[in-house]
Amino acid sequence: MLSQGLVVSHEQLGNTDQKLRRLVLQGPAAQTAQAGQFVTVQVQDSARASFDPLLRRPISIAEISPERDEITLLYRIKGRGTEILAQARCGDSLSIMGPLGNGFSLPEEGELWLVAGGIGIFPLFALAQRALSQGLKVRLFWGGECKSFMESAGLASWKELEIKTSLSTLDGSLGEKGLVTEPLHSALTQIKPADSKPEANEVRVSVAACGPKGMMQSVTELCQRFDVPIEVSLEERMGCAVGACLGCVCTLKDKAGRLIHKKVCLDGPIFRGEEVVWNETC
Amino acid sequence: MKPVDLTTQLGGITLRNPIITSSGTYGFGEEYLAYCPLEALGGITLKGITPLPRLGNPVPRLAETPAGLLNAVGLENPGLEEFLKSYLPKLSKIPTAVIANISGFSLDDYACMARALKKGSGITALEVNISCPNVKHGGMHFGTDPKSAQEVMAAVKAETDLPIIAKLSPNVTDIVEMARAVQRGGADVLSLINTLLGMSIDLNSQRPVLANTFGGLSGPAIRPVAVRMVWQVAEAVDLPIIGMGGITSWQDAVEFLLAGATAVSIGTGNFYNPQAPLDVVEGIRNYCEQRGYSSVQELVGLAHRG
Ligand SMILES: Cc1cc2nc3c(=O)[nH]c(=O)nc-3n(C[C@H](O)[C@H](O)[C@H](O)COP(=O)(O)OP(=O)(O)OC[C@H]3O[C@@H](n4cnc5c(N)ncnc54)[C@H](O)[C@@H]3O)c2cc1C
Ligand SMILES: Cc1cc2nc3c(=O)[nH]c(=O)nc-3n(C[C@H](O)[C@H](O)[C@H](O)COP(=O)(O)O)c2cc1C
Ligand code: FES
Repeated sequence: MLSQGLVVSHEQLGNTDQKLRRLVLQGPAAQTAQAGQFVTVQVQDSARASFDPLLRRPISIAEISPERDEITLLYRIKGRGTEILAQARCGDSLSIMGPLGNGFSLPEEGELWLVAGGIGIFPLFALAQRALSQGLKVRLFWGGECKSFMESAGLASWKELEIKTSLSTLDGSLGEKGLVTEPLHSALTQIKPADSKPEANEVRVSVAACGPKGMMQSVTELCQRFDVPIEVSLEERMGCAVGACLGCVCTLKDKAGRLIHKKVCLDGPIFRGEEVVWNETC
Repeated sequence: MKPVDLTTQLGGITLRNPIITSSGTYGFGEEYLAYCPLEALGGITLKGITPLPRLGNPVPRLAETPAGLLNAVGLENPGLEEFLKSYLPKLSKIPTAVIANISGFSLDDYACMARALKKGSGITALEVNISCPNVKHGGMHFGTDPKSAQEVMAAVKAETDLPIIAKLSPNVTDIVEMARAVQRGGADVLSLINTLLGMSIDLNSQRPVLANTFGGLSGPAIRPVAVRMVWQVAEAVDLPIIGMGGITSWQDAVEFLLAGATAVSIGTGNFYNPQAPLDVVEGIRNYCEQRGYSSVQELVGLAHRG
């Protein structure tokens, strides 16, 4: 769907040096949006058509509020496109395509564990809200650079969800010092000790992960070792965002073990962790 | 007032209007359905196919440049057999002209695809992408050597009864010479232009952005080059031209018609605005109405007069 999103709020998130923004858009996209889906936003200097930047910018949907016709996008100012986007003011209208992509799947029962690295936390918020509203137990593992980042990137909103949370930072300024995979590993060991047989009362856990590629690869390997299903959210440079240009392919392994390409924009951005080929491209 | 006649004759086929979408930017016709009803278009051009399936190049395949896009998809496609089995049957239901786009690395490649794509197969015309290396001739591109280009068109012509469209590469010194060569080979229509070879370097990694190093430049940045080539070819060669390269608006499309294109095609413009083809159809209609033209074809080549 191509629609206009009315900017109803656009604010800095946390500390200036984190360059994070929260953008709330009002429009029809909210009606069908699912957690894990994204929109592409046309970034323009002014109301007059400009071709620099030419391409729309993909941004995940971080919060969905169909009753208010609102979606929330959380983003980091990275280059020219997001810098221009950051100039959008309340009352402006932005051309958006979407919701696009497939979205996370929700387990029918058991626990959903969210594993985030850095701003990979953003799309997981909508998923947490959805899972909680369906009565699932949700747990968060989130790793980031430092306390300032975590607080800027929405830690307070996560605290309001009152879910069990394990934080880690690279410099140890908040939570455990180290990578997010460490607390995840301990938690997996607790639900599935290496020597135990599958038991009837075993907690059924599914994992949803978003973050840097290396982190998602490690999380996938961990989950596979503990036989826990995992979905990951991939990123790739996009042209059309509807599956027409083949600009955004990722490499997967099919059931027969052959390497194949899938489109991140249309077949993803959410894929089962075990089908992703992390290091090779073909 | 009588409504403006938008129908367009192109190498023996009649299009509803002169707006087509370009190969490699419009998938196999289904991808943009939520944005643009196909019955509103004059035609669509399918992603380029090759005899065997191709996985294409590694990512990153795209790099954005000022008002432009570099792509190095590397002709990823399901291959002829899979195309015939899984894609072709659905195409006959598409309510507009469907142009298949074929690519190859030898004359045999082109001939075998032309043999499989005939009238009645759901395909309206065959666009021959000659911007590919000829592996039997040291990788020299078919589209940069007049003799090879002529041979490719003749090989295709001998195998199919469909109208054939030669898609010319702009990466040549003399576009008119190439146009004449493909005309000699039997081309019914000319498509121009394909992408311009370019590259872009990342200042952080100090490496090329594209995994393939080089890519094809498309989008508004190339439009003046495309308009110039359409103009030159229209002066010299008596074949209908599908003009393309950087069209995003009706004004751009009218510019191509005035330069001598009979129809226009929109590629990268769809990424910018997935409803661009609809806007262009309406804009051309209004332009004709306001200027008192009863048929869009009256615009073709007007800029050459006097
Ligand atoms: C499905 C998806 C969801 C995303 N969700 C978010 C989000 O919720 N929050 C957020 O902050 N960022 C998100 N991103 C990344 C975001 O799209 C890029 O940071 C943004 O496009 C950068 O644009 P720029 O002009 O500021 O940077 P530039 O570096 O100037 O961009 C140059 C080109 O590269 C592309 N590009 C640059 N970085 C990326 C990237 N990481 N992934 C894909 N394309 C890129 C741009 O779109 C543009 O075409 C997402 C990306 C994808 C593919
Ligand atoms: C992502 C992408 C893929 C393309 N693939 C093909 C192709 O398979 N065959 C072909 O003949 N042209 C291909 N082209 C070229 C376009 O059809 C068109 O000639 C060119 O992009 C110029 O038009 P534009 O500026 O409107 O995009 C491709 C272009 C892009 C951007
Ligand atoms: S961005 Fe075009 S296929 Fe995904």
